[in-house]
Amino acid sequence: MGLTHRALLYDGRSDFLAATGAFLRQAVEVGGAAVAVVRPDNLGPLREELADHRDEIEFYDSAEFYRHPVRTLKAYLELVDRVSPLRVHAVAEPVWDGHDARQRLEWQRYESLINVVFAGSGASSLCPYDRSTLPGDVLDQVRLTHPVVVDGADERPSDAYLDPASYSAAQDLGRRHDRPADAEYLPIEADDLQPLRLFVATRANAHELTPAAAQNLVTAANEVAANALAHGTPPMGAWVWTSGDEIVCEIGDHGHWRPPPLTGFVPPRSALDTGFGLWSVRLLVDLVELRGGWGGTFVRLRVRR
Amino acid sequence: MEAFWSVRRPVSALHAGDHAWLACSGAEEHEHVVGAFVRDGLLAREKVVYVAAEPEPRIPGVVGTPSPELLTVLHAGHTGPRKALDAVTAEVEAAECAGFAGVRVTLDLTCAARDPELTRELMACDAALDHLVRPSAALSVLCRVDRRRVPPDAVDLLRAAHSVHAAPDPDFEDTVLRIVRTFDPRGLELSGELDASRHTVLDQALATVLAHGDDGPVHLDLAELRFIDLGALNMLAEVASRRAGRAPLVLDRMPSQLHEVIATVGWNMLPGLEVGRAAVLDPVPRP
Repeated sequence: MGLTHRALLYDGRSDFLAATGAFLRQAVEVGGAAVAVVRPDNLGPLREELADHRDEIEFYDSAEFYRHPVRTLKAYLELVDRVSPLRVHAVAEPVWDGHDARQRLEWQRYESLINVVFAGSGASSLCPYDRSTLPGDVLDQVRLTHPVVVDGADERPSDAYLDPASYSAAQDLGRRHDRPADAEYLPIEADDLQPLRLFVATRANAHELTPAAAQNLVTAANEVAANALAHGTPPMGAWVWTSGDEIVCEIGDHGHWRPPPLTGFVPPRSALDTGFGLWSVRLLVDLVELRGGWGGTFVRLRVRR
Repeated sequence: MEAFWSVRRPVSALHAGDHAWLACSGAEEHEHVVGAFVRDGLLAREKVVYVAAEPEPRIPGVVGTPSPELLTVLHAGHTGPRKALDAVTAEVEAAECAGFAGVRVTLDLTCAARDPELTRELMACDAALDHLVRPSAALSVLCRVDRRRVPPDAVDLLRAAHSVHAAPDPDFEDTVLRIVRTFDPRGLELSGELDASRHTVLDQALATVLAHGDDGPVHLDLAELRFIDLGALNMLAEVASRRAGRAPLVLDRMPSQLHEVIATVGWNMLPGLEVGRAAVLDPVPRP
């Protein structure tokens, strides 16, 4: 089973309704699991358009569904599992406003990850992009992250498409890794990570994260530190600082691990598989940034309050 | 009602003056808790008096054949609480005369507690024993019943009469993590924080539980667990997968924040693990 992952470039509401409506009707006809995840202003009109198939299509609001790229991948995976052996036919419309540059980059990476995470799912995804309102840099990426682009009656393979690993690596080139001089530092010197948990928890609470978000961050930091202890090279330690709404925790060691670009993005089947740790870490915090080189290996965890 | 001043104390922490109580849920708990009481006494060369209902009991916690000077086994049979109390008192006096620094007595009250006609006599004898124990600098007493064979109101009455409730010794305890066996349901109680530096001790404790059990569920009481790392969740999933086809590992009374961590990661990642009792205060007092 493969994956059909197509971008739909459209201009305005009626264009949107015609193309997505046809896609979902066909999904119902072929006996697939028809799913529409669309932006709030498209949701009502699409429901109306497909009123005759109301009970055969699942509708979701993108504003709810697209809050955290890795959790969204997880939600789609669960959807695929839930409806199996039916195949998912999804209109999948991400939200592109309200993001800063870093978040936008992660959602673009997400579009690319779809190609690898759902490679064997048999699913078909049509991702609508509103050419009349979306910014140019969002539209520019569509041909890099979708193997096929639909533009009006024209449907053709994208010659600019990049495999997800190359795309992800390219996205990371522009990342900045500076760390403020006043970041607090705790050396990690023993296997017992209780001091680290206390160090992170105290600062997470002071930053007024919810208790659940603080516990998730502590769990993620503990996992990264345990990995550093198991595979890294001393000296190792953790830095914590805040930047606006965000609290950042970075764990570094002097090992020379060069994480492949998709590390922790490809979900394991269960906790028994390798990769469970970093995939979970990506779910537990808002953003994980890995970098490795001769200067050491660093894992940066970001959480907004 | 449970006496408001009752304390729960690991059996190895019982000391002279303690008049403790244990409502066993079965042979495994008896072996574990009463066995520790007997073994600790014999190892410290204290006098141990084991009062049993049956004529030739298997004494838990005994390795080899201890000298009769150290270990006395009394067969209380169906002679009633008064006679048993007299015999115990005589043994204690003899032991004190013989110069033992410590004397440990453990009595099986199951027979007397099953007979409503004996309740008054039993409670009077227990009170008399209390007067003997509490001021003593040498004597400690562990009263026990088989909870499955005694009516609940008799269990309640006896529980209220004992200020110390004997608990199993921890399988592991340091400043960060404590692991204690539970017997009803079978499993472990985890308190504190669990991370990679303590996976081995959890693995060992789980192995002990699994080795003795049938294929029934194994419960982990997490009410007092403040942190669990992903590696430990992975380990639990591994244990559950090795038991494939048998009952699951059940996570009881999980604090909401741990619940949140697992919900974020996804329960589907942890096949063989189940959520058990909710994290509310247990309205039923512990035995």
